[in-house]
Amino acid sequence: MSAAAPAVSSTTGRGDALDRAVALGLPTKRDEAWRYAPQRLLAELTFDAAVETAGDVPADLDAQFPSIDGPRVVVVNGVVDVSRSNTAAADGAVVSSLAEAVAANSDLAAAHFALPADAIDDVFLAYNLAFGGDGAVIDIADGVALETPIHIVDVETPDSTHNASCTGVVIRLGVGSSATVVETRLGVGSGFGGSNVRTTVTLGDDATLEHVLLQDVPDTQVHLSRIEVEQGAGSTFRARSFNLGAAYGRVAYDVQLAGEGAFADLSGLFFGFGDQVLDQQVDVIHAAPDCTSRQSFRGVLDDRSTGVFNGGILVRPGADGTDAEQSNHNLILSHQAEINTQPRLEILADEVACKHGATVGQLDETAMYYMRSRGIAADEARRLLINGFADQVVDTVGIESVRKWIIHRLGHDDLGFDDDGDADG
Amino acid sequence: MLHVKNLTAAIGDKQILNGLDLDVGAGEVHAIMGPNGSGKSTFAHTLAGRDGYEIGGTVTLDGADLLEMEPEARAAAGIFLGFQYPVEIPGVNNMYFLRTALNSVRRTRGDTEISAREFLKVAKEAMELVEMKQDFLDRAVNAGFSGGEKKRNEILQMAVMQPRLAVLDETDSGLDIDALRIIAGGVNALRGAERSMIVITHYQRLLDYIKPDFVHVLVGGKIVQSGDHTLALHLEKNGYADFVNHELAGAPS
Repeated sequence: MSAAAPAVSSTTGRGDALDRAVALGLPTKRDEAWRYAPQRLLAELTFDAAVETAGDVPADLDAQFPSIDGPRVVVVNGVVDVSRSNTAAADGAVVSSLAEAVAANSDLAAAHFALPADAIDDVFLAYNLAFGGDGAVIDIADGVALETPIHIVDVETPDSTHNASCTGVVIRLGVGSSATVVETRLGVGSGFGGSNVRTTVTLGDDATLEHVLLQDVPDTQVHLSRIEVEQGAGSTFRARSFNLGAAYGRVAYDVQLAGEGAFADLSGLFFGFGDQVLDQQVDVIHAAPDCTSRQSFRGVLDDRSTGVFNGGILVRPGADGTDAEQSNHNLILSHQAEINTQPRLEILADEVACKHGATVGQLDETAMYYMRSRGIAADEARRLLINGFADQVVDTVGIESVRKWIIHRLGHDDLGFDDDGDADG
Repeated sequence: MLHVKNLTAAIGDKQILNGLDLDVGAGEVHAIMGPNGSGKSTFAHTLAGRDGYEIGGTVTLDGADLLEMEPEARAAAGIFLGFQYPVEIPGVNNMYFLRTALNSVRRTRGDTEISAREFLKVAKEAMELVEMKQDFLDRAVNAGFSGGEKKRNEILQMAVMQPRLAVLDETDSGLDIDALRIIAGGVNALRGAERSMIVITHYQRLLDYIKPDFVHVLVGGKIVQSGDHTLALHLEKNGYADFVNHELAGAPS
């Protein structure tokens, strides 16, 4: 296995994580959560200690991010790029690098890494703990309503000496606070490589986090996202993920509804071309009474791409009054494209309302005909229908520059979204 | 203007149109009436260009062979079909859809595209015609529209597209009397010396509002009787029994 040389200090117990990684080994097709992951690519990832980057970062890198005014942390190959970052934040909000927080013995940073070995059931989580020494920390004080979004950017620039990095993002919202965090994940270059980013979120009682994940790396790269969320009573976690490109692009949510009356609302879009494999792994755990969760994911798959939606609703004993819904709608544009959709429901409580549904369809021929009968050429009608399908997720993003970025990356910025915004409805 | 000669249409081995002949001159309004299953909607869709039929005979519009054209080319040539069941297109904004449609036919015809501002004016006039509010255009095409709203949206599209030949397929079905009045008002406002219409309906009721120049009875996939608007009144009173029996008697056993 590739991670043979543990070039990391063990000051945070990370040597143990590496031992754990070696013990776990790579996932196989028998691991439900990794069944469709290209094992060959995973085996080629070589995580190492974070490396300072030099000249291989394009000067116009910033132009590839959505333009969001506000605090920003840019991580390149697992290390914060101070020159591109701006951690000045409003009163009551602290934005810093993870390495600094570790150095300052921050309790938040410590909690991020403090996992007993037997709780590490995923080899890439183990690697992340072992090698992910830098990243970002966001700490919002009780009662603070942050207006400006915070932007965390992770960029991988693999070259002949280095192909994969780990990054950590820690988000804590105090009681009754609210914030928006956008995480953008990009890659540079045409070589093989990968990134492994773990985000841990702790929401205090009645806190509200809007979390947007934008993932679009070159299709020579692997990107692994893992978002762990623990929600206090009455808190809201509103997540939007856009898994738009990678050789293997993974978005994994693990959301614990730990306090009474918490609400998790997750939706996402995955849009595959070529030979991409785009994987959504969602676990929402209802661990307290009267919590509500929604999962709503849409996939569009063209060429020989593969989409995966593996969505779990797990209702623990005592989580009475659970209200959970899940849906996954897919549009298949090619005979060689593939979608694997699987709901997992495990209900161990009473008075539970759970709904799930999945659809797989092709472009609606009747709608095509209707549009063509109005003079719209077939290829344009097709584009309109695809965009219409995707826009139902895109339109739920509140930040206009982020919406525009998504549309641009989807390659349909010439359609439907004029300056007067008349197609946004 | 429109010449339909010996038009046949079949799906698999099911013959639906059996040699339909019809001539529509510029500015004329023709009503086509007939019982269920007589081929009315199939006729409308063969004009608009729906896939899936085996078609024989000829249809020309202003001398051009319509049957050879894709649906979008027919729209550019001036055909507009008001659907009996307008299609819901979630996620596609009504205003954007309309402007894309209008600019598509303008491009095909070699005209310049219409700007957003000019289009807004055109759309506003069309909305007034069918008594629709602005938010109607901000919604997705037909998604969640009531039956009446869908039909009004069809007429709105027709007003924007300004077709040479409008084919209205059971535009009156499912409408209450107020909606019927609005739709008919819109249609009448769009009548003109250069615009012809084929109005397909089950009932005489619509023809009280839209007075046709000619009425045709379609039974068994062909026109069995033609006349002026009094033919519709006759049908209203006596139903299609005469024609259906006649057809059965004449049919090969």
